[in-house]
Amino acid sequence: MNIISFLTSYHGYLTIGVCLFILGCICMMWRKNAIGILLGIELILNAAGINFVAFSRFRTGAIDGQLATLFVIIIAAAEAAVALAIILRFYRLKETIDSDQANLMRN
Amino acid sequence: MSSGSQAILFAFQLMTLMSAVLVAFHPNILYASVALLFTFLGVACMFIFIGADFLAGAQVIVYVGGITILILFAIMLTQWMYKATLRDVRTKILLPVVACGLLVTPILLKTTRLIADLGPLGTAETMTAFSFSPKTQVIGQALLTSYVLPFEAVTILLLGALVGAVWLARPQ
Repeated sequence: MNIISFLTSYHGYLTIGVCLFILGCICMMWRKNAIGILLGIELILNAAGINFVAFSRFRTGAIDGQLATLFVIIIAAAEAAVALAIILRFYRLKETIDSDQANLMRN
Repeated sequence: MSSGSQAILFAFQLMTLMSAVLVAFHPNILYASVALLFTFLGVACMFIFIGADFLAGAQVIVYVGGITILILFAIMLTQWMYKATLRDVRTKILLPVVACGLLVTPILLKTTRLIADLGPLGTAETMTAFSFSPKTQVIGQALLTSYVLPFEAVTILLLGALVGAVWLARPQ
């Protein structure tokens, strides 16, 4: 089995999903920048979406996985808006968005 | 799937993976977020190839048109473009990689065993019935019948989150 026919099948979609998940986890742990952590979260949510759609296409043949991905997309939009508002607020307070400086619960 | 469309899908998958690597490892956060845009586009193209056309549209509209632009706005509001603090990644890469390996290995083992247990892929009838019919009508009907409770719940969540975001980012 060559690599193209592997990657364009069911297992290929799962492989891409796992790779995006791992890269998102590494991005979340490695970056100090708060916006960089947000980028990692978006990668992880996209990996979950790919898995849902692949399972609904190749396993059940029903629409449920696509609906789950639709809700994931909506929740990701809400999460990005709230996270960026928090980051802007934090920047006004501390003049930086280094996540190591976020060590206060008050204000 | 014909070999021509296989080649196109393979190209999009390569684009997704390489730009995801850039998102994770590029030291400049601005370039990383532009690479995230290409990751989202590649995932949308992958959605098209397994018959999720409505989701591909939603992905392009919400992620590419919304979230990436929002992230770019936030970067340019909070930092000067080539300030030294923009290049801030931790010096130690080994610890995240090892932690991700420990996290992902049991998931991989469990998943491969699960796939082996579940047996062969779906039957040929479900595949052809599902494959490339337009999904907008089906998704709309499902959202207003069997999925109406999650639909309304996510509506309230989105409203609350956006009002909260505006309240958080208000001027002092």
